[in-house]
Amino acid sequence: MSRFAAYVSLIVFNTLGTTAMSGTIFPYKYQKETLPNGLTVIMIPMESPGLVAYYSIVRTGSRDEVELGKSGFAHFFEHMMFRGTKKYPGAVYDSIITSIGADANAYTTDDYTAYHLNFAREDLEKVIDLESDRFQNLYYEKPAFQTEAGAVYGEYRKNITSPYSLLNEKIQDLAYDVHTYKHTTIGFEADIKAMPEAYDYSKTFFQRFYRPENTIIVISGDIETKATLGLITKYYAEWKGGYVAPKIVPEPLQEKERFGEVPYPGKTLPVIDIAYKGDAFDPNNKDYVAALLLGELAFGESSDLYKKLYIQEQKVQVLGVSIPMNRDMPLFEIYSMVKREDDVHYVRDEVYGTLEEFKTKPVNEKRLNDLKRRTKYSFLMGLDTPDHVAGGLARFVAVAGGIEIVDRLYQQLDAVTAQDIIRAAKKYFVPEQRTVVVLKGVQS
Amino acid sequence: MRSALIVLLCLFSFIGSSISFGGSNVLDDDIVLVPVKDDPTISFRIWFKVGSQDDPPGKEGLAAITASMLTDASTQKNSYEEVLDKLFPLAASYSASTSVEMTIIYGRTHKDNVKVYYPLFTDAILLPAFKQEDLERIKSEALNYLENTLRYHSDEELGKAVLYNNIFSGTPYGHITTGLIESVKSITLDDVRNFYTKHFTRDNAIIGLGGGFDTALRENVKKDLQNLPVGRPETVGTPQPRAIDGMHVTIVEKEAASTAMSIGFPINILRGHKDWYALAIANSWLGEHRNSSSHLYQVIREERGLNYGDYSYIENFPRGGEVRMPRQNVSRRRQIFEIWIRPVPHEAKHFALRAALREFKRLLENGMTQTQFDLTRNFLTKYVLHYAPTTMQRLGYALDDRFYGIQGSHLAKFRKMIHELTLDDVNSAIKKYWQYGNMQVAIITKDAKSLKEVLENDTPSPITYQTTKPESILNEDKEISAFPLNVKAENVRIVPVQDLFVK
Repeated sequence: MSRFAAYVSLIVFNTLGTTAMSGTIFPYKYQKETLPNGLTVIMIPMESPGLVAYYSIVRTGSRDEVELGKSGFAHFFEHMMFRGTKKYPGAVYDSIITSIGADANAYTTDDYTAYHLNFAREDLEKVIDLESDRFQNLYYEKPAFQTEAGAVYGEYRKNITSPYSLLNEKIQDLAYDVHTYKHTTIGFEADIKAMPEAYDYSKTFFQRFYRPENTIIVISGDIETKATLGLITKYYAEWKGGYVAPKIVPEPLQEKERFGEVPYPGKTLPVIDIAYKGDAFDPNNKDYVAALLLGELAFGESSDLYKKLYIQEQKVQVLGVSIPMNRDMPLFEIYSMVKREDDVHYVRDEVYGTLEEFKTKPVNEKRLNDLKRRTKYSFLMGLDTPDHVAGGLARFVAVAGGIEIVDRLYQQLDAVTAQDIIRAAKKYFVPEQRTVVVLKGVQS
Repeated sequence: MRSALIVLLCLFSFIGSSISFGGSNVLDDDIVLVPVKDDPTISFRIWFKVGSQDDPPGKEGLAAITASMLTDASTQKNSYEEVLDKLFPLAASYSASTSVEMTIIYGRTHKDNVKVYYPLFTDAILLPAFKQEDLERIKSEALNYLENTLRYHSDEELGKAVLYNNIFSGTPYGHITTGLIESVKSITLDDVRNFYTKHFTRDNAIIGLGGGFDTALRENVKKDLQNLPVGRPETVGTPQPRAIDGMHVTIVEKEAASTAMSIGFPINILRGHKDWYALAIANSWLGEHRNSSSHLYQVIREERGLNYGDYSYIENFPRGGEVRMPRQNVSRRRQIFEIWIRPVPHEAKHFALRAALREFKRLLENGMTQTQFDLTRNFLTKYVLHYAPTTMQRLGYALDDRFYGIQGSHLAKFRKMIHELTLDDVNSAIKKYWQYGNMQVAIITKDAKSLKEVLENDTPSPITYQTTKPESILNEDKEISAFPLNVKAENVRIVPVQDLFVK
């Protein structure tokens, strides 16, 4: 139940927008506490007969991989976290997790790494004991480290058959010059191949990043906050601080449009990805908040362009948009799988035309209000299990350090006007800030 | 333990609470309810007893396309664009899922929005427009999936599709749900209309409702679905897969980055039967899906680092690469036992195949030990809780209970049986339903010819590592690398990837 380390790349080609934009009044009462060592715990009691979700969120992801040749290391390290401690060696950790029938897993993203378990209420202390132990006392020897590198390479191999994986690699590499968003979360293949040699480096990785000030625990479900906090204090209080923030070089202003092509070694319909440099997540940045809505209004399922290209003209197989929530400057992307290679430029121009229209023409008030309503309901409907609550909040917690931000985001979303949308369109979607990559299959 | 029992009672109390209302209404016996009073949402799952097994010859893919023509297309009241516009502010949607035997039209809405949502949902089922342009769009997606996505973008899914097609070749299960390229191309609006009229009938439908619905809504659904076409289509006979004599290997040749493998054979046992639960315990130990408790995972990934994971199944588990828990409403009357080896480096493919089969054979010969049995039993007791945390999933399970004729709830029964079964029961089930030596193997790889040769000759496949390994592993490797697979030359077939799923 461990080490199925789903890595989540910087670009998510599906429903990212739903969570990103679903700010609303958070319906559950919660308690947030910080221990003297800097560890924060957020407890969210909710109706869920006997079930608990437990997320340990380390605010370190592929963004923090600043050293050359170490791309993919945050994800690799996530695998290593299942190799155990002297008290609970990997096999013992596994057998305890197995004996309590927990659903346990972990994933790594650009900005954070999350370790999560779902289990029965009566196993809470056992889980806190196990989790606090490995976060403080991780221990593994070189052979285990090297064996795990093989599993990570296996994960890379299984993913790389997807054209979107290749496209992600290319567009991030091309769009960024110095910032660590230049590489995907799973990392460059050459770096993955070299991982078995990085045993000593891995120890420093743990020392620098796996610290209480850099970790937030979210516990939701059938819990009592007082007793839970008592257990957290009992097991985590001795964890020593000492987080060393990496020196992440900010990306300089892009001044000229960039183009790239990537061949896919198989058969695929062509895919075009049009990416603009955006802003980091900040609910107080009205332009950013407006961009969240703009993306959906311009390119979402009920947008005019989607109806035109996907339903009426049937030129595209896929049209999507991603306005992500990131700690640093992300890419705001519009992507499309196009049915005929001859139409790639047509689709590109339609995207550009739509963006130009959004820069001048105020969006229909009803559509804007419909979208605000939609964000509210999609957020509410997603909060149906402890795992969905804690998991749905993970990125907010990682990026902003807490969940107060959810309410703030919702207030700001509610206040967005048609003029705000125009301003955001003008600010972000400019050619100089654009990177365009087209992927084509080499077999026909 | 007391609290654990309460948990489970609560969780499962709303599972399988199917209600019969009696009377002359034909749908009265055909409703499955999973009420959850405090749930602010309502889940709909309308089950039509039709699937890809009902595709007419030459029209493979028709069931799935017809279902999509209900949910991803215009209705007689609204164009598809209007449907999307109306669903948009509700943050709700509806979709179709077609498997070999079941088609589900499902959706979920917040209670606040049900008055707007419900007519859209029922229009999709009752008043499809069946427009040519919608058909073209939906067919084009199916063709893209068959021609590009399945053949080139995921070797793991490809391996599974080839395995199932081979095992059930010549039966109504013998093609994947999406169909075949030539068949999909040939599907016309008349085909869709006729298929809908024949199979999407009120006599062929079971209503599933879950969450915070009220009596009025329940009665409305029953009444409204009376407007479906009438008729009870003939049931397709239970597929009888050909007996497999020896080890049959299909090598799909392509420019693969690594080698994906799936292995299997048909089994004649379904959930609900006592032996199924016994076999489920053995299977969980051998290969619980995406779980480090899987023995195959331990041997191939954890100890040797050859790939990302290795699992086994006694029920069809579609989209295993994407989901961690079993999907609902993919029930079928014939299942296979299946081993899934995630992509391994080409140089380790022969070794990994041997390792997996050797472990399976050892389990078959030795059975489980008491320790393994106890650990797996403890694990499953609570792990089953994670199978259906949402109302929509519980409703799906309740419909599956109806499919398999299970009184009460399969998941509740699962937990009960785990504690009633003995180690002897499990080891007897292993002997009764599993066998070694007569299997289909699907391998997606490059350089098929050389693999064919080493398989035919049972050539030893020693393995080397970048890492230091304990003596015990190296000694075991010697046995694995010489483990006889006994594949006869005439049972190895090479298929170029572009020849798959054509007609």
